[in-house]
Amino acid sequence: MIEVRGLGKSYIGQDGGVVQALQDVDLTVADNEFLTVLGPSGCGKTTLLKAIAGLIPWNEGDIFIDGSPVRGPGPERSMVFQNFALLPWATVLENVAFGLQMRGVGKTERIERARALIETVGLGEFETKRPGELSGGMQQRVGIARALAVQPSVLLMDEPFGAVDEQTRRLLQEELLSIWEEHRLTVVFITHSMEEAVLLGDRVVLMSARPGRISEIVPVPLTRPRSSDVGALERSGKYVEITAYLWDRLRDMHEERRPAKAGR
Amino acid sequence: MSAPAAARRRLPRRRVPAGPISLLAGAIVWELIGHLAGASFFPPLSTVIGRLAGMVTSGEIFASLADSLLNLVLGFAVSLAGGLLVGVAMGRFRKVEAALGVYVYALLTAPSLVFAPIFFSLLGEGRGSIVAVVVMYAMFVMIINTASAIQSVPGHLVEMARSYGASETQILLRVMLPAAAPMIMAGVRLGVGRAVTGMINGEMFIAVVGLGRIVTQAGGRFDGAGVLAILLVIIAVALGAVALVQAVDRKITGWVPQTSRGH
Ligand SMILES: Nc1ncnc2c1ncn2[C@@H]1O[C@H](COP(=O)(O)OP(=O)(O)OP(=O)(O)O)[C@@H](O)[C@H]1O
Ligand SMILES: [Mg+2]
Repeated sequence: MIEVRGLGKSYIGQDGGVVQALQDVDLTVADNEFLTVLGPSGCGKTTLLKAIAGLIPWNEGDIFIDGSPVRGPGPERSMVFQNFALLPWATVLENVAFGLQMRGVGKTERIERARALIETVGLGEFETKRPGELSGGMQQRVGIARALAVQPSVLLMDEPFGAVDEQTRRLLQEELLSIWEEHRLTVVFITHSMEEAVLLGDRVVLMSARPGRISEIVPVPLTRPRSSDVGALERSGKYVEITAYLWDRLRDMHEERRPAKAGR
Repeated sequence: MSAPAAARRRLPRRRVPAGPISLLAGAIVWELIGHLAGASFFPPLSTVIGRLAGMVTSGEIFASLADSLLNLVLGFAVSLAGGLLVGVAMGRFRKVEAALGVYVYALLTAPSLVFAPIFFSLLGEGRGSIVAVVVMYAMFVMIINTASAIQSVPGHLVEMARSYGASETQILLRVMLPAAAPMIMAGVRLGVGRAVTGMINGEMFIAVVGLGRIVTQAGGRFDGAGVLAILLVIIAVALGAVALVQAVDRKITGWVPQTSRGH
């Protein structure tokens, strides 16, 4: 379980001004829940995820994973990055095994575990290739395999499919759903896309900007498993209704920030 | 292998061998000017090569060459170790950079030979002084390249490593050094050329030994062919050293995409 209590985080900008990236964020993510986070650009989604990952310090509040406070990165969490963050000099196998290597897993074991995950994401024949020889979608498959290789119970994903084309993105969404259905992980998944948020999530966290806070949490009562028939799901009334609702809310947020209406 | 890669590999065979043709043209021009000018300090290439052959058959060149190569190797090794160590420290720690940066830049731009008398008085006329001159020539460019290579390692890779609990040592060895390797090697290539210059200058100005001694003596006799013969040897040494560095470079940085290396 992830618990975020009264989280506040401000950055000092380059001009010396203070940017309040997060304020009073309270959030509980249940075990094996798939939580998606949606919000306008700059509302603090990445900041929230990096705080949970233990990669950045914050100013107020606490974060607990299964009851123990987050003080830095931990073995139960792993992260998938928007820009993949693969080592360009290392092969697919070495990249997938990287997290295990950092955690001191011996060579034979880490190669074995990495191979199994490379199979899971369908990159078996590309084991010896380097990232530069792979398409964007394949690179993110490597990123996902690397994150899963350390057998996390919490998977943190920051717009993982934001940099791949539409068709690949749909394939990756389906693959992620079936991986999650099989492995039962707690996932926090950041996205810009309402459709993606609804398709994947058990609940959608809507964030608003300046300061970044949670404005609403929208449950997604769509049946699971969803990976088998994504098409039918997207045509269902519920799906359409929830995405339309999310867009209404997001549009309100954007309009509040439009200068023309600022005088109201 | 993919089709474009195969094509790229076949291409050079069809292309004109630019290197050898350029060398041949240079040799012809040298030979012609040498004959036309008739000046004793600029003999034609054939005379110079004859003189070089004489030095080789008499064996007088080998002891000097070995002497010089030892100076070069020692000086370069010290420069490489110092360059990596100081460069990494400057690249990683802002305080170290603030403290040392001004000295490194000052010594990079200062004419390295002005330190020769200082080394001479401190270390005497022996090998130590020459090695010190080589280090003055070669080390600073490697420090600066290494420091900026470390500074330009993508932050997201370091963050990724941190997210897997990597220690500072692991981050340095597994992320920063490999990511910085292409730029560090560029500095090493520059450094090796400067080391050869330092070697000759040190040998000519401090302790008249090695190839520098032969140049100095030939110069004193107004023996133009002798000076140029040694120049050819020095160029060969420099090219050999650079080729060695390039071979190592290709081993280390083979992952850098072909397209970003030029042709
Ligand atoms: N290192 C930093 N220094 C200063 N300000 C920062 C820094 N990182 C983020 N910010 C600011 O904090 C706010 C939240 O940033 P964050 O990256 O968390 O937003 P985001 O919701 O992930 O945006 P996007 O959807 O564009 O990725 C923004 O206003 C941003 O400018
Ligand atoms: Mg972001």
